[in-house]
Amino acid sequence: MDYLTIALPKGKLFAKSVELLAKVGYSAENVVEDSRKLVITNEETKVRFIITKTVDLPTYVEYGAADIGIIGKDVLLEEDKDVYELLDLKYGKCRLMLAVPEHKRRPNLTDYAHLRVATKYHNSARKYFDKLGIQTEIIKLNGSIELAPIVGLSELIVDIVETGTTLKENKLVELDVVYHASARLIANKVSFKLQFERLNKLVKDLRVVLEEENTKCK
Amino acid sequence: MNDNKVLQLPYGTKDILPGEARAKRKMEDKIAANFLTWGYDEVATPTFEYLDTFAIGNGGISDESMKFLDRNNRTLVLRSDMTTPLARMVSTRLSKDKSLKRLFYIANIFRYEETQAGRQCEFCQAGVELMGAAEPTADAEVLALAIASLQAAGLVDFTLSLGHIEFLAGLMEEAQIGEKDAVAIEKAVLEHNAVGLEQIIHKLYLTPELKAIFNRLLFLHGGEELIEELLGLVKNEKSRAALRNLADIYNLAKEYGVAKFISFDLSLNRNLDYYTGMVFEVYTANMGFNICGGGRYDSMMKSFGQDCPATGFAMGIDRIMLVLERQNNLNISSDWDVLVAWGHDKVHEAIKKVTELRKQGKTVKMATTETTEIQAMELKKINHCNSLVYLK
Repeated sequence: MDYLTIALPKGKLFAKSVELLAKVGYSAENVVEDSRKLVITNEETKVRFIITKTVDLPTYVEYGAADIGIIGKDVLLEEDKDVYELLDLKYGKCRLMLAVPEHKRRPNLTDYAHLRVATKYHNSARKYFDKLGIQTEIIKLNGSIELAPIVGLSELIVDIVETGTTLKENKLVELDVVYHASARLIANKVSFKLQFERLNKLVKDLRVVLEEENTKCK
Repeated sequence: MNDNKVLQLPYGTKDILPGEARAKRKMEDKIAANFLTWGYDEVATPTFEYLDTFAIGNGGISDESMKFLDRNNRTLVLRSDMTTPLARMVSTRLSKDKSLKRLFYIANIFRYEETQAGRQCEFCQAGVELMGAAEPTADAEVLALAIASLQAAGLVDFTLSLGHIEFLAGLMEEAQIGEKDAVAIEKAVLEHNAVGLEQIIHKLYLTPELKAIFNRLLFLHGGEELIEELLGLVKNEKSRAALRNLADIYNLAKEYGVAKFISFDLSLNRNLDYYTGMVFEVYTANMGFNICGGGRYDSMMKSFGQDCPATGFAMGIDRIMLVLERQNNLNISSDWDVLVAWGHDKVHEAIKKVTELRKQGKTVKMATTETTEIQAMELKKINHCNSLVYLK
């Protein structure tokens, strides 16, 4: 049997992903976020884990450097890589939002044309505004997006929101949902075909675990 | 003048260096020889044609094709596949010929692609088209030939996924899915987005049986038993005919001894619009995308005025070379059998010597100036020759 290489993203999805995979028999010693080892192997079950930066994860899978991976739908939509999306894992739920400072709120979405939009998700923002036919100037930032309207860098922001607290604290109001996102299991095209039996079983097992968790919550 | 461009290559193009080019030529020769033994004749078409030709053949022109204008401002396209030009050629030039057309080509194709290793904007394809036969025998022949050609190219380990366009089409008809949803479903299938597909299906009013099949669609991989199982589950005649057609093709492929390479994938949907029947792609480890693909396209020839069923495939020469290289199975050394060097007044003798060696089939390089024996040894080394003949 060939090794199955699983890519895990650093950050908020990491712990839950390790836990979930362990439940269906995919685990290795010392799979921790700050691991010094770059590749963690379980010889017994022929599984290899690699831990990558979030935005890079789809690239590893697209090129087949990893066979499968777990990543947020927001990253998939933003990076637009050619990978198979196999399963919605239902955790890491968040939404990409268009938001505006309270005092700059206008009656209609179309009233925001020709303004500046600060975002880390510039591809998603561009597509969203193109679809609405609204012309805007997109300003790509790498973090602290809420800061932009406060200091006059932009009038609008497009950013990931989980609870909405950060927006409220900065006196921003949510105008529209660009999209909802959650963690997804993705696979390399060729790996999916060449290791189908194994991956099909993995998806089935994960479905069962997710179903159980869902009933427990209720 | 922009100096920066002088040393650069346009996006998505590459040089093929000595050694590499030699390996490529050798591979192409083997593939071509194999095509001939299967009764396929070589043809060539222009590198560029009118946009209208490609637009008719593909049912539209994609953003991927490279376009430019001729001096009468008519739009030309660098060929973005070979199937369309061949269909045009057969319909216009070979329509009187009553034989089955079995044709092959080895040609460069041009498409705007997001380039990666093995995915360039200019790339070389070898392929065949079998025109005039609608029977499973033709499809099985094409499948078996694809496998034999990959083997001729030096590949050992690969998987051929076999699907059928009409399977999904039949399911959509049965489910009476509206045009907008159908487009969304086809997109989800093509992108292999199981989550997106499930979301679309969830919103539709379908029987539980149909819902179950749609939700399994992207996981319908397997052997003969899968076809049997699906024949038990699927009610509509179109999908059932597709399944029976696949079973027939598979049974014939068995006789060719290639069944072990084939597995069914009912979600397979190639991103060219012209396919009408069975479709297939070939995958191998060490390569993130398919190395060969093809299928049946019965309606394309009609758009060129000749109604004629057809089937065929193309394989990516550059991708196969890359796979072999990654498996350490590609000899890209650029070496030679003999260097002939010569001392004072020996040039005439040297020419006689190289002529004689070349007649024996040796690859020979000859020194262009008089050298000493020590210089000759050095020359042999830097010219990658395996032996030295020095005339003194």
